[in-house]
Amino acid sequence: MEGRIVESCKIAIFCWESLYAERVGGLANAATNLAETLAKCHEVHYFTRGQVPDQTINNVSYHYCQPRGNNIVEYCDSMSRGMVENFFKFDTHQRFDYLHFNDWHAVQALHELQDRNTILTYHSTEYGRNGNQYGDWWEYKEISGKEWYGGLIAKRVTAVSATLKNEVMTLYNVPDWKCDVVPNGIVPRQFRADIDAGEVKKAYGIHPFAPLILFIGRLVYQKGPDLLIEAMKTVCQAHPDAKLIVAGEGGMRQFLMERAKYLPANFVGYVPDSEYIRLLNACDLVVIPSRNEPFGLVLLEAWSAEKSVVASNVGGLSENIDTFVDGLKVEPEPGSLAWGINTIMDDPSQAVALGKRGRKKVERIFLWEPIAGKMTETYARVVA
Amino acid sequence: MPALSIGFEVHQPYRLNRNFTPDPKVKKRHIQNLYFDEVNRDLLLRIAEKCYIPATTMILDLLDDGFSCAFSLSGTVIEQLEKWSPNTLCLFEQVAQHRNAEILAQTYYHSIASCFHDKTEFTEQVRMHSALMHDLFHADPTVFENTEFTFNNDIAGCVRDMGFCGVFTEGVERVLDWRSPNYLYTCRDIPVILRNTRLSDDIAFRFTNRSWDMYPLTADTWARWVAESPGEVVNVFLDYESFGEHMWPETGIFDFLRHLPGELSARDVPVILPSKVITEYVPVDSITVPDTISWADIEKDTSAWMGNDRQLTAFHALEAARVFAKDKQTWRYLQTSDHFYYMASKYGSCGEVHSYFCYLSGEEAFRTYMRIIADFEERSLRYMKNRRAARALRTLSPENAFYFHSPSGFIGYTAYSLDQFCELVSIVPADSLRYHQDRGDFACWINDILGDPLIAESIRECTERQDIKNLVGEWRDELWSHVK
Repeated sequence: MEGRIVESCKIAIFCWESLYAERVGGLANAATNLAETLAKCHEVHYFTRGQVPDQTINNVSYHYCQPRGNNIVEYCDSMSRGMVENFFKFDTHQRFDYLHFNDWHAVQALHELQDRNTILTYHSTEYGRNGNQYGDWWEYKEISGKEWYGGLIAKRVTAVSATLKNEVMTLYNVPDWKCDVVPNGIVPRQFRADIDAGEVKKAYGIHPFAPLILFIGRLVYQKGPDLLIEAMKTVCQAHPDAKLIVAGEGGMRQFLMERAKYLPANFVGYVPDSEYIRLLNACDLVVIPSRNEPFGLVLLEAWSAEKSVVASNVGGLSENIDTFVDGLKVEPEPGSLAWGINTIMDDPSQAVALGKRGRKKVERIFLWEPIAGKMTETYARVVA
Repeated sequence: MPALSIGFEVHQPYRLNRNFTPDPKVKKRHIQNLYFDEVNRDLLLRIAEKCYIPATTMILDLLDDGFSCAFSLSGTVIEQLEKWSPNTLCLFEQVAQHRNAEILAQTYYHSIASCFHDKTEFTEQVRMHSALMHDLFHADPTVFENTEFTFNNDIAGCVRDMGFCGVFTEGVERVLDWRSPNYLYTCRDIPVILRNTRLSDDIAFRFTNRSWDMYPLTADTWARWVAESPGEVVNVFLDYESFGEHMWPETGIFDFLRHLPGELSARDVPVILPSKVITEYVPVDSITVPDTISWADIEKDTSAWMGNDRQLTAFHALEAARVFAKDKQTWRYLQTSDHFYYMASKYGSCGEVHSYFCYLSGEEAFRTYMRIIADFEERSLRYMKNRRAARALRTLSPENAFYFHSPSGFIGYTAYSLDQFCELVSIVPADSLRYHQDRGDFACWINDILGDPLIAESIRECTERQDIKNLVGEWRDELWSHVK
């Protein structure tokens, strides 16, 4: 197999969060799952932060440090120093073959170890997190500066979607030859549950047969919940029985609730994972109205639960959905969203078919095994 | 002009008793009366009257006039005919001994044993079937046809090693790509006859479809399609029950069958037997089938039996039940593919086909199956060497399974065995684990249902997911080492 690492090697992963200690968002899941999958045939060490002693879980050795800092940038520099210190403790005997860094947090460590075989993965950019806008405050400049510098010195770079690859190429002048697209993976079993949809709907005061639309995500401009609320006004005219559940917290909540005063929308706020599974498996349709989405993990989660999806034609969503095959892509504006939602709800059996095909796609493309395989191909290119 | 080979699948399962409840008073030798539904007898008699008797009588006449065709009868349908309709079995005996007919091999229990990791059970059932064909019909099948045409490279190799001359399977487009099913192929050095899906389904499914633009289909039209087909041999295989049972006599299906041989010979289409296909033609190419195919639905894979999580749960329970199966016969009856078919949750036209064939809903079928397999294992415990370990590892009925909850309710994950519990502990959301751990649910379940107070005490001490995972994982591995 060309470009694939066949023999077992020693891999170091640097990430500021992990599943078993400090966990912030989706990055913990992605990096931990990748590490555990790689650990099936390689020796994997995971350098991260946390208040717990070092441990080995599913063949991955976790090494923790306790950083300090008055602001996020200082904090991450302190963390990087701790990681490098830990790294050298385990770089004896057999040296590490590949060093894999995630996002900007550990770029300082990347700087100190830049002579080695380094790989940097972008999960998003500061520009994207800021709603596709430049910022003029110092943190913005510091963070995007680190993102640029990491892309400059890393031997290879990966991005979770072609859109993000273009973004880092434009923003940080990362050359095309240096950057590979390696999408996120998923464990589909975690998101499909055998549940009585009617019973869950009733728990939210919704008729068991009423079509339920689910939005999950932070209530911020980037995720476009306002577009969905506007679209619901049109949807309700065609489907007076349709209901919307908005799960997630964020600065826009008050504003959205104001706008949705006369709509059948229920703002349930932050939901724990178990409740998310219940809602995801009980709903009839998942809507992802984001304005910017480097990857869009919710898409894979919805597909894992065999749900049909109406999503904005942006970023990773745009790359991964085939319209009328496994979902529906629409423009991120209320009219187009409403059309998409109505189209799905007009034909429930079509909706089921889209969801089933989405699940098949997940099993074909987005399981961690093939994704980790792709990642090792990138590793191999560092030395090629 | 191609030749035509035509074959029929004759099979009835022992459907499970929908109203099954465990009854320790029932003796072991009567256990099958408790597990299997009384409806089996009525259904068999109905199908015999509507299909087997009229269709076979007609086919016997056609065979006398020079028509030829193949039959594949499962062991379970033969048992049922012997018990409840011996006259019908006599008709099949006449067919089997007719010089223009051929009997094909399959698994005795029409089972999904070929999907098991270990193929010994599969080969044993094939041998049982061949022995039955020999004893009953004096026939020694040379061509093999697996349950619902399930097929892959491993099965091909297995069938070759058993000494068959050829194997029948589905002409799946994704395997053939640009190639036509109307030729002989090989797979792992065994000749493979491929079913022509379109011409087969024209009879089996579209014949009664009034919205089909070719409705009504007549024998001369269909014979013309065969005659005009490219290639060397068109292979058609049908559920025998299509004649008179799935499609009633009023649809004209018997008239179609009656006139078919005449229309075929009017167009000089030779009708030959599958074994003849293998000796007459030279394989044009070889195929590789890494992923299992079958003739089911539009997916043409195993999704009709192992497509959803319920079916997978039941399948793993069945495979794990091997060590409990002191009573092999009952275990084998539970392997019949139909039990799994009833648990499907399909949509669209395939969903309609599923619901036509299913005598109960998917959910109900699954619960019935799990109840029966749990009872079967429970009864086997007393004959097992390490009873305590076996008790902890057994499959559980829906009443004893562990249902993962969150404070707001059931979250859709159910553990029907310790094995599944170990798997789910790493999957369920952390807040659900915490909820159960705070209430001591895991400890209670392990103590009351799996019967191990020591592990139950230890699990109370666990605070992290990882601790629970390690504890039950190591315990499980140890138990299996005692039982295997």
